[in-house]
Amino acid sequence: MVTRGGLLRLQLPTLDVTMALAALGLVLIGLLTVYSATSVPGAHEGLWSKQLLWFGMAVGIAYLAAAVHYRVYDSLAYPIYGLAILMLVLVLLVGTSAMGAQRWLELGPLKFQPSEIAKIAMVLVLARRFDDPKLNLRRIRDWFPPLILMLVPFALVAKEPDLGTSLSFPVILVAMYYWAGMPGGQLLLGLSPVFNVGLFFFTGSLWWFVAIFALMLAWIRPKLGTLLVFLALNGAVCVTVPKLWDQLHDYQKRRIETFLNPGQDPYGAGYQIIQSKIAIGSGGFVGKGYLRGTQKGLSFLPMRHTDFIYSVVGEELGLIGALTVVLLYALVILRGYRIAAAARNRFASLMAVGLVSALFYHVIVNMLMTIGWAPVTGLPLPLLSYGGTALIVNCTQLGLLQNVALRRQEY
Amino acid sequence: MYPSNPAKHSKESRFQTFALVALAGFGSVGFGLLRLQIADHEEYRRLAQENRVRLEVLRAPRGAIFDRNGTLLADNAPSFNIVFRPMPAESIARVRTTIAPEWLARVSGLVEQDTAAVREWVRFANRSGQTAVLRRNAPFSILAAVEETRGELPGLEVVVEPMRRYPHGTLGAHLLGYAGEINEAELTERKERGYRSGDLIGRTGVERTYEEMLRGQDGAEFVVVNAMGKRVSTLTEGPPRPPVPGHDLVLTVDFKVQQALEEVMADVDRGAAVALDPRDGAILGAVSRPAFDPNEFSRGLSLVRWRELSGGGANPLLNRAIQGVYPPGSTFKMVTMLAALRAGVARPETRLHSCGGSYYFGGRSFGCWKRTGHGSLDFVAAIQHSCDVYFYQIGPRLGLPRLEAAARELGLGERTGIDLPGEAKGLIPSEAWYAKRWGAGRMPKGLLLNLAIGQGELLATPLQLALMAAGVASGGQPVRPHVVLRVQGDGEAPAQEKPVQAGANADPSSWRALHEGLELVVAQGTGTASRVQGVRVAGKTGTAQNPHGDDHALFVCYAPAEKPTIVLAFVIENSGHGGSVAAPRAGQVLKRVFLPDSVALHPIVAAPVDTTEVARGD
Repeated sequence: MVTRGGLLRLQLPTLDVTMALAALGLVLIGLLTVYSATSVPGAHEGLWSKQLLWFGMAVGIAYLAAAVHYRVYDSLAYPIYGLAILMLVLVLLVGTSAMGAQRWLELGPLKFQPSEIAKIAMVLVLARRFDDPKLNLRRIRDWFPPLILMLVPFALVAKEPDLGTSLSFPVILVAMYYWAGMPGGQLLLGLSPVFNVGLFFFTGSLWWFVAIFALMLAWIRPKLGTLLVFLALNGAVCVTVPKLWDQLHDYQKRRIETFLNPGQDPYGAGYQIIQSKIAIGSGGFVGKGYLRGTQKGLSFLPMRHTDFIYSVVGEELGLIGALTVVLLYALVILRGYRIAAAARNRFASLMAVGLVSALFYHVIVNMLMTIGWAPVTGLPLPLLSYGGTALIVNCTQLGLLQNVALRRQEY
Repeated sequence: MYPSNPAKHSKESRFQTFALVALAGFGSVGFGLLRLQIADHEEYRRLAQENRVRLEVLRAPRGAIFDRNGTLLADNAPSFNIVFRPMPAESIARVRTTIAPEWLARVSGLVEQDTAAVREWVRFANRSGQTAVLRRNAPFSILAAVEETRGELPGLEVVVEPMRRYPHGTLGAHLLGYAGEINEAELTERKERGYRSGDLIGRTGVERTYEEMLRGQDGAEFVVVNAMGKRVSTLTEGPPRPPVPGHDLVLTVDFKVQQALEEVMADVDRGAAVALDPRDGAILGAVSRPAFDPNEFSRGLSLVRWRELSGGGANPLLNRAIQGVYPPGSTFKMVTMLAALRAGVARPETRLHSCGGSYYFGGRSFGCWKRTGHGSLDFVAAIQHSCDVYFYQIGPRLGLPRLEAAARELGLGERTGIDLPGEAKGLIPSEAWYAKRWGAGRMPKGLLLNLAIGQGELLATPLQLALMAAGVASGGQPVRPHVVLRVQGDGEAPAQEKPVQAGANADPSSWRALHEGLELVVAQGTGTASRVQGVRVAGKTGTAQNPHGDDHALFVCYAPAEKPTIVLAFVIENSGHGGSVAAPRAGQVLKRVFLPDSVALHPIVAAPVDTTEVARGD
C-alpha cells in the first residue's frame, strides 16, 4: 500500500515521537489504574483486559488515521459531518440510556457514543470551512457559517443531555476561530453575550458584566459599527434573560441549576467530589502505593474506573504520580499545538488545533472536577479512563495529529 | 499568502496564546494537587483513615393540604423507620460473607420482614451507598428491641422521617389521592428529577397532579461515622444543605360541604357526588364510593390489601366522580330543552301530542315512565314532570347535530380539564360516530328519541353532569372545574386555565323557560325530595337504565335558583329512582349549606314520592 509520494505514505522519521511516547505512557498508567480500581471485590473485575483489547483496536485505527493523507479527510469532511449528525439524531430516537441520559448507540455487538465521533467530524468540517480563502473573519457575517456548523451537534448533544461533552463543541470553535485569524479582541467581543449570561447567572446582577464590558471596550477599541452590533446584542441579552428567568417556576429554575451544576445535587455528584478529594488528599506526596488505595474500595465512588480514575491515581501514586500525569498531558497538548503551528497546510493546521483543543478541554475539565474545582459533568479522562469509544476516538485524534506532523512540510 | 496562510509571526504568537492557556490550566491542576496533597494532607488522611464519611439525607416535609377555610386535610407525622445504613469499605465484605446468614436471620426476625426481602434491601444499600428502609413506621415493641441490640447489629438504625398523614381518613380521599413510596419503575423514570429510593410520590388525586409543588427538596449533610456506623461529627466540607419544604396547597373544597356529601353518601355502595360553584368551577366537595383510607398507603400495604383496593369489582381507588361514566338519563332533558328552545323547534307554551303513556314512532312503541300518561302538557310542564313522550317528539324535530352541539357547549363528551389525573371523557355520539357504527346514513331514526331523554349511547361522568347543570344555572357561562385554589409560597396562583367547553348561547326567554321548568321540578315535580325551606332550588331527576343491573339513580340541582352558588350532582349505582334515592340526599346537603343551624342530618329514607307510578325513567 505504500506508494511513493502517494496518499498512504508513512514517514517514520518525522513522526512526533515525544507526543507518541507521552500518550503511550498515559495509556499504560490508565491500564494499571483501571486494574487497581477494579481489583476490589465487587463488580467490574477484569475490565483492564477489555481495555487492553480496546487499545489494540485503537492503535490500529490511529495508524490508519495517520496513514491516509489528510487531503482525503478534507474532501470527505462534509459527508463525515452529515453522517455524525445523523447518528446524533438516531441516538436521540433509539439510543440506549445510562444514568438518565441517552448517549449510546448500539450497532449489533458494538455500542458507542456518537457525540465523541461528532467532535472529530466537526473539527474536519470547520477546518475545511476556515480553509476557504474567501473567508475573512474580520467581517462579522463570515462568523456565522462556522457558528451554525457548531450549533447543530452542540444542540443535539445537549439534548441527550450531556452538557459536559456538548460544551466541548463551542470551545473547539472558539479555538479554531482564533487560529483561523479572528482578531483576539473581536473574539472576546463575540463571546461577550456568553460572559454576560454567565455572570448574571452566578452573581445575579448585571453590573459585573457592565464593568467588564467597559474594560473590554477600552482595551479593544472596536470600530463604531462593531461596537453598536455588540452593544445591541448584549442589551437584548440583558433585557430578555432576566425576564425569561423570572417567568420560570421555582422548580424549573432548580432543574436548570442542577443541569448547569450537577454538583449542587449533594446525593450524587457532591458526594463523589468529597470522596474524590479525600482520596487525592490522603494520597499525600508519595501516595499509598499501587493497589494499596483504600478509598477506591468504597462503593460510594461508583465511577472510580471511569470519570474519577484520576482520584485513584492521586491516592495510590501521590503528588508524584498525579503530577507525572499532568506533565504527560502537558507534553501531548503542547506538542499538539506545536504540530499545528509547524504545519504549512492551512487545513491541516486548523484540524490539528481543533483536535488538540478538544483533547485539552476534556483533560482539564476532568482533572479540575476530581480536585473539586469544576462541576461534575460526566466527562471521562482521555486515554486514562476505562471506555472503548473514548479510547478509540482519542487515539484517532492523536493519529490525525501525527498525520499532520508527518506532512508538515507540504502545502 | 495572508489570510489563507497566516504570517509566520502571527502564527507563533497565536501558538503562544494557546501554550499559555494550556500551562495556566495544568498549573491550576498542579496548584489544586498541592493544596490537597500537601497543605491539607493531614486532614484528608484522617478522614480516609476513619474512612467513614457518609451522606445523610435530611428529608424535606411534603407540603400540607388545606380546604378553602384552612381546615387541615393532609400533613406529615413522624414515622419511626428501621433502616440499614451501608457499611464502610472493609465492613462490606464482612456483611456480605460472615454476617450474612445469622445477621440476616436476626435482623429479619427483629423487623418482622421476609428474609429474602431484607437481603435484597441490604444488597441494594451496599451497592448504591444509599440507606435502605427495612421497616416503615415500626411499632414501639420493634423499636425497643432494635435499641436493645445496639451495636451487635452494625448498620441497623432507627431514624425519624416524615410520613404522610390524612387526619380525616377516608374524607375526600379521592380528591386528595395518596402518596406512597416510589417504586422501581417510577424511580428509573424520574431519576433525573432527583428522586431517590425511599421517596414519597403522589399517586392519585391532587397528590399526583401537584406532585412538583408538594414535594420539597431534600437536604443533606456529610457525617463522619465510627466503625459501627454511628455518627461522630458533621463534616464542614460541602456545607450541609437544609431541606426545602414543599409548598402547601389550598383546595377549593369546603370542608363543611365535603363532610355533608360524605355523610349523605355513607350508606351508598357505589356512586359519586360532586358539588361545585357554578360561578368559577371551584369544586366544593366530591365523593366517590366505595372509598379508601389514604393513611393505609403511608403505613405500607400488603400485596393482598393492595389488590383488594386497586382491583376487585368495587375498585375503591377508582374516583367515580371523574372516572365513572353513566348514562345521564332524564337529567339530560335540560340539554334537549335548551337545544329545542333556542332552535325554535318548540316554544315554552307549545303543546305537542298529548301523552297517553306511550308514543309510536317508526312502527315501534316508546313508553313514557308514567304508564297512565301525562295528558296534554306545554314544554315547561313537560320538563317539570319529565314527560318522556313530549321529549320523544322533540328528538326527531331537533336532529342530532343541534342536540350534540348543545351537549358539547355545556361540557359533555369532552374531558373537563379538571386538575385531577385520569379523568374520563364520556360520550356524546355524533353523526360521524353513528356512521362509523352503522354505516353512513343508516342510523336508525328511533335513536333520536332515546337520545332526547338521555338514554342510548350517551355517557357522562358525575363531574360532567355537575358542569352541565352549572352551565344551565349560569345561563351558559363556561367554567373550568378545578380543585386547587392556590399554591402557598409560590408567589402566584396557578394560572386559571381556560374552560374546555365553549359555553352555550341562547335568548333570555329560552333560559327563563328552562330555569322555570327546573325550579318546578323541585317545587312540585319529580324532585320534591330535595326541597329546602326558604331556598329556591332548581334541579332535574334522572333514572338511567343500566344493561348490567338495576337502574342508576341520578339527580342534579343548583341553588339558590335566582343566583346560584352551588351545583350538586349525584349518581347512585343500581339503586332505583333519581327522585327517591338521589334527590333527598341533595336536599340534605343543601340544608346543611343553607340552613346550617337546622337539626342534624336525618338518616336517608325513601322520600315521599309517588313511586307506584314510576315504572320507567322519571
